[in-house]
Amino acid sequence: MNKFMGNRLAIALFVLPAMLLYSVVVFWPVVQTFYRSMFDWDGLSAGTFIGLDNFKELFQDDLFWLSVKNGLIFAAVIAVFQIGVGSLLAFGVAEAHIKGRKWLRISYFIPVVLSVTVVCQLWIAVYNGDNGLLNKLFEFLGLSYRQDWLSDPKVAIYAIAAVNAWQFMGYHFALLYAGVKSIPPAFHEAAKIDGASKFRAHLMITIPLMRETYRFCLIFAITGGLNAFAQMFIMSGGGPGTSTYTLTYLMYRSAFRINEFGYGSASATILVIECLLVTLLINRLVARERIIY
Amino acid sequence: MRTFANFRKSQPILQLSMWIYALISIYPLIWMVFYSLKNNDEIFVTNPFGFPTKFHFENYEAAWKSFKVPVYFMNSVIVSCMAVFGAVALAVLFAYAAARMRWRFQDTARIYMLIGLFIPVQVIMIPLAVLMRDFHLVNSLFSLIVPYIAFNLSFTTMVFYGFFRTIPLELEESACMDGASIYRTFFSIMLPIIRPAIATMIIFVFLAAWNEFPIALIMISKETLKTLPLGLLFFQGQFTTDWGAMGAAMTIASLPTVLVYVFFSEQVENALTVDAAVKG
Repeated sequence: MNKFMGNRLAIALFVLPAMLLYSVVVFWPVVQTFYRSMFDWDGLSAGTFIGLDNFKELFQDDLFWLSVKNGLIFAAVIAVFQIGVGSLLAFGVAEAHIKGRKWLRISYFIPVVLSVTVVCQLWIAVYNGDNGLLNKLFEFLGLSYRQDWLSDPKVAIYAIAAVNAWQFMGYHFALLYAGVKSIPPAFHEAAKIDGASKFRAHLMITIPLMRETYRFCLIFAITGGLNAFAQMFIMSGGGPGTSTYTLTYLMYRSAFRINEFGYGSASATILVIECLLVTLLINRLVARERIIY
Repeated sequence: MRTFANFRKSQPILQLSMWIYALISIYPLIWMVFYSLKNNDEIFVTNPFGFPTKFHFENYEAAWKSFKVPVYFMNSVIVSCMAVFGAVALAVLFAYAAARMRWRFQDTARIYMLIGLFIPVQVIMIPLAVLMRDFHLVNSLFSLIVPYIAFNLSFTTMVFYGFFRTIPLELEESACMDGASIYRTFFSIMLPIIRPAIATMIIFVFLAAWNEFPIALIMISKETLKTLPLGLLFFQGQFTTDWGAMGAAMTIASLPTVLVYVFFSEQVENALTVDAAVKG
């Protein structure tokens, strides 16, 4: 048996293809990103080592700070919306008397499986100043609150964040719903006997018990927000002006538009550090004790 | 008083608000399908919200014929299928060796593979582009297939590993006694057992590959090699006046994933949310 499970050739055949591909295409590039962030490099030549100059330059770049700020706005909008609305809907759908539970779950989740391109193009149409759904709706309701949502530099970042918030709410809903379902009903029965209202019962019992789920949702929403790229690329191209730049967009532009691969790698490095800090912070704030029922 | 209690119990306000959000969640999509069947006059002026008065299927014909929708569609099918096959095959092999066989560094190797879960694609886009250029894979579908397989390895390996750990060792012992080779044991005994996990991972990788955007954007510039998420992007300029055809193309692009979801909704939700159990 030992020989059977320790068959060296079989192990090599099973392990090496996956390890090799992963090392070359995922792991090595990460190392490269960190390494190349210290180079003045156009992607073609060998590049020159310049230490931390790229980072110094970044910190003096207004666009960098704007990108960081936009990333934080984006992350905050989607975290609050997706987790807030997701929680309310998950608690609601978990109630015993809800009819059409299956249809509600499907409707909430469908946007998650769509491609980001389709969703963004669709929302460009929704936001369209003349013929968009949103302005038509305001017109229909007799409100004069029409505007071109994506071309106002102040509004654009929120309008774009709203699209991501809308698309991935269903994902958080599914996570939170699974979390609610995993809490034994005895807890809520006890709360009911003690005369607690629904609202209080959720606030005092459900939410603390789902700490692990919330921790993950927060990490997912916030790091997802900081990494946002496709929405900006498709819906606004970073504009109007530079008003919807994010770190990833900055990286993309540096590397693939103006051939500053080193500078782009530096933004990517900052992005990794930012995501790491956020994850550590959330793990600290949302205490890590395992709850055993 | 009793009826009032019943009325309260059925919670009409809660019920209503949940259906209102359901509407917010899917109405934009319904609106898209509606306008894919309308002409411009109806979309912009006479009937922007409602059901099409007359079905303009010629929008679908226009999207399919005059633009490269069939080409994009085929590319997406090829890339997604190869990515599914590659990722599932490599991961299942690795996971089996890591979970059941005995070798040095097996835990280290497994943890090393897990690191990939925490790396966002965006972070390695630049080196990846350079790498694919050095391998002369730029502007071929392999520049998408290879990264898609590699990116899905961490997650699929982990799920398969978990599954293999739950299978009793006696199975392999008796196979060994009966004189089966390790390969035969793996393919005829172990693989059929983890079939449910394989099905879930097929859905997971398929959805991820079908919808992937950033890598496709930096790797592919040739029109004939574009996948749907990339190809549709450029409709905007060409189609600004023809919303009907644009809606039709978008509906065609969304159909596969929506159908997969509608038919396998439970598995899809599981496939996408197991992620959660791990990453936290």
